[in-house]
Amino acid sequence: MAKKQLDEQDRNILDGLAKDARISNRKIAADLGITEGTVRSRIKRMESEGQVRITAMTNIARLRNPTLAYIWVEVERSAQCDDVAQKLAEVPEIGFVGKMLGRFDILAITLVQDNAELARFLHSKITGLAGVRRTECSLGVNFVKHDYRMSRIVES
Amino acid sequence: MTDYSDGEHLRPAPSQHMDEVDHRIVAHLRRDGRMPYKTLAKELGLTEATVRSRVRRLEEGDSLRVVAVTDYEAVGYTMMLAVGIQVEGRPADVVAEDLAKFDEVFSVCQVVGTLDIETLAVTRDQEHLSDLLARLAKVPGVRKLEPSIALDVLKNQSNWVPFGHGV
Repeated sequence: MAKKQLDEQDRNILDGLAKDARISNRKIAADLGITEGTVRSRIKRMESEGQVRITAMTNIARLRNPTLAYIWVEVERSAQCDDVAQKLAEVPEIGFVGKMLGRFDILAITLVQDNAELARFLHSKITGLAGVRRTECSLGVNFVKHDYRMSRIVES
Repeated sequence: MTDYSDGEHLRPAPSQHMDEVDHRIVAHLRRDGRMPYKTLAKELGLTEATVRSRVRRLEEGDSLRVVAVTDYEAVGYTMMLAVGIQVEGRPADVVAEDLAKFDEVFSVCQVVGTLDIETLAVTRDQEHLSDLLARLAKVPGVRKLEPSIALDVLKNQSNWVPFGHGV
């Protein structure tokens, strides 16, 4: 399960991508004094092994009333935890699903544009799932930080 | 197949910042951030020059960034945790700003609910975990930490994020 560690060369290439991940392989290669082929094959390897994903992030400030909802879920029976987590992961609107140890059993994070939408979402997509005993929500009022460079890359 | 699209409900109405074509460009770049302009143009039935200038406009207008997201495990972190925080005697937004300064804390959101702030963090090992929680507990205004550890992350796509905080 453990992912292979990035080596120094990989990290240098990632530094090259840090400001703008659409920079050309040629430019990174020139800056690092390595060949373009090395840059290309390493980026390809990092992506195929799930160490790195190059993707578009959009500014949450462009949404109307963006509200981050942390939905904490308690399952009916512990044996149902995997099933419930899997079902939640299949909901396109949910961006994060983790099986947790401590507060509740599962954390699901979603983004809604108002409270009415959250209420509808909870009723239609979550509270009705078999195995969900109860949920508790933390509603975002001020999204202060999200370092998008750090993540868990999950292949499904 | 992982779905990197946004939920339909998150499609903001066409605005001065992003129109329908922009959203289609973004959808492609979500799946492959390094898709060449030529391929993008072909996929969308636009000219390469149009795609280039739109991407540049979105980037310069701070609406879009194409970034390399790194798996925390590939850079030596083994644990991810969610730490809820109860605040006392200091405004929650000020405490949230202080928490945002920790490198290990990669996400911070002031919330309403039973707690005041929700954070997500990573640690290298159990010792680092214990050390991080001790440092978080010392932040002025933090009354109580409610940590929980992720045993397994089944899904993690954050497409809409605040730009800022040096990232």
